[in-house]
Amino acid sequence: MTGGKPRSRWRFLLSPRWLAWHAFAVAACWGMLWLGDWQFHRAESGNALSWAYTFEWPIFVIFGVVFWAKTIVDEWRQQSARQAGSAERATDDRPAIELPAGAHIAALVDDEAADDPELAAYNAYLASLNSRRGR
Amino acid sequence: MRPELLRLVVRGYRTMAYVTGTMLCILVFVCIPVQAWGHNATPADIVGTLHGFLYIVYIVVAFAMTRAVRMRIASPATIIVLLAGTIPVLTFVVERWVTRRYITPVMAGVTPSEQPVLR
Repeated sequence: MTGGKPRSRWRFLLSPRWLAWHAFAVAACWGMLWLGDWQFHRAESGNALSWAYTFEWPIFVIFGVVFWAKTIVDEWRQQSARQAGSAERATDDRPAIELPAGAHIAALVDDEAADDPELAAYNAYLASLNSRRGR
Repeated sequence: MRPELLRLVVRGYRTMAYVTGTMLCILVFVCIPVQAWGHNATPADIVGTLHGFLYIVYIVVAFAMTRAVRMRIASPATIIVLLAGTIPVLTFVVERWVTRRYITPVMAGVTPSEQPVLR
């Protein structure tokens, strides 16, 4: 579900914390490029070892840019999920419960209950307990 | 993520953590003393350059691992994992910690045969 104005999802990028992060990313990349340039000049003036670092620093810059972009994409995905979730159940303000990865996933359909009224009744009872816990 | 891919990424991370960590220990505890007191810069130059390139591989593999085990990006844990390759001995410590804290639980979770089936 895609409710709300489209630009609101990107607004987090302008919060003070994110602006500081962008500034840090730009400064770090500029610094690394400067170091690469410095090594290039050293290499040109006869320091053979500097050739290695001339190529190394730009690689770190690329990694830095990828890292920065991934932080944005991750945050955007979380924001989108949060917005979609809050649109679906606006009155639900309980904290999200995170199950460990190994936790079991409850069966959606219990086909044994179809021909067992007692089991079906018990399943209905469990379902009612489960929905009550959320409130 | 497919379990085989996860296992591959984790194996790559472990290999690079140990290779990069060993290289850094050799650089800091052998080559730099030789340069300082033995006045011979050649070992430090060679091992230093080697470590520089190994660290590039390490940072890529380690980043892939942090994504694979769903560590939060830009969290202190991720930053420590990425920077561990530049601080002597830290890769060994961090590798053990990451294994206990993240890799083992995720591995246990994604292996389908190990997932309990409850009815």
